[in-house]
Amino acid sequence: MAAVAAEQKKVVVHFRSTGNAPQLKQSKFKIGGNEKFLKIIDFLRRQIHQDTVFLYVNSAFSPNPDELIIDLYNNFGIDGQLVVNYASSMAWG
Amino acid sequence: MAAQRDDEAGWSAEAARRVWGGAVPLQVHLHDADVTTLPPPPPFLTLGPRIGYLPLLVPIIKAHFSSTLPPGIDTVWFEYKGLPLKWYIPIGVLYDLLCADPERPWNLTVHFRGYPSEILTLCDGEDSVKWSYMNSLKEAAFIITGNSKNVMNMSQADQGALWQSVMKGNLDGYMNISTRLKLGPFEEDCLVRTSSVEGQQGSDEPESPGSGKPCRVPVRLYVRSVQEDLYDLEDALPVGDWESISYINRPFEVRREEGRSYITLEHALKTLLPEFFSSKASRIPDDSETAPQAPDSAPNDDSDVTPRSCEKLESSASSSPQEANVANKGKIVKLVRVQGIEVDMDIPFLWVANNLKNPECYLHICVYVGTRKREPKDGR
Repeated sequence: MAAVAAEQKKVVVHFRSTGNAPQLKQSKFKIGGNEKFLKIIDFLRRQIHQDTVFLYVNSAFSPNPDELIIDLYNNFGIDGQLVVNYASSMAWG
Repeated sequence: MAAQRDDEAGWSAEAARRVWGGAVPLQVHLHDADVTTLPPPPPFLTLGPRIGYLPLLVPIIKAHFSSTLPPGIDTVWFEYKGLPLKWYIPIGVLYDLLCADPERPWNLTVHFRGYPSEILTLCDGEDSVKWSYMNSLKEAAFIITGNSKNVMNMSQADQGALWQSVMKGNLDGYMNISTRLKLGPFEEDCLVRTSSVEGQQGSDEPESPGSGKPCRVPVRLYVRSVQEDLYDLEDALPVGDWESISYINRPFEVRREEGRSYITLEHALKTLLPEFFSSKASRIPDDSETAPQAPDSAPNDDSDVTPRSCEKLESSASSSPQEANVANKGKIVKLVRVQGIEVDMDIPFLWVANNLKNPECYLHICVYVGTRKREPKDGR
């Protein structure tokens, strides 16, 4: 039952810019849980028109692009959303 | 008691040493397209540390093939039977996952050109691997402690030393630094030991005061579909693309369970992957929880209690065979492999987590699932 729910579940991703990375007009988006983190990376690149962007979860780490969004949400989500920080240069080493 | 502790510590150290010393014999062939000499160079034999990563082997492999490579810039990647290998997955896991019937040496092909960037993320050699390792370690720390601070607050010197120890397979150096991160070991008492002693008391008693907050064990699962009727692992069809492997990151939350002295690997896997076990077994009915407490759950007889209670769970799960069959939909777990070992499903999960984990504190588990032909749903 959990599996079926997970397949369809959408996750709220909250983007927060760090340093001098451009702000987004809209900072929260819903993304399908069975997509991979790569989708978030590509999406953000298009939104801010920059190819070089560093993404972090919870101002701490960069997940690898294959990780499922639903797993990231379940493991690291806070207050019902997945917080993704982004920066134009490496922010957290 | 103290002697038993020492014994346990001894066994743990031995297990970690074996994990760290484990290696896969590799026979690396240069891809035809990169060969510029006649005759083509012989393959290169080397040992790939189980906890290591393929890009770290590039310097020695490149040295072997250097005289025959075409001019230009190298973008190195590895392939097994047509599948480009993800460089951030530890070598041992790649081998356990992709070589159903372990081949020795493992025949890989190395490419120095034509990087398949639509399949693999770019790898800039050791720096990229270190970056990936540190990020995984931070993820694991977050899962275990609720934040990544203990890793992020490490000094640059310690981070560097930690990475060097992983790269060189230096367990002592690693232990010196990693113990300070306080990411383990997972203790049995954040779970059930109390419940087996006090098991005779009511079954729906809430958490006992001493049990503390539930701890979470970081697990990376790799689920590979094989033919449903596969009898000999040698006959498993090679993995054609990564889409047919489910890469799942789910922590196992250690919770107090009635009637068990410890959590078996089988129970942990059923909890982690309900979709690959029968749904009945994953949602254990409450009445089966109380049943195994019966006379044989004597507190001192730990080794005996769990297998029996598992059997009970099994039988209660299959008590309605039709339902179980429907739920299974032809998905049967055929093989579970951790660090090259086909692990006994009755082994305590926390022992596996503490002793067979990789140095980024994740436990990597390869699961082979028999699946009916071409059900597109199955490959996520």
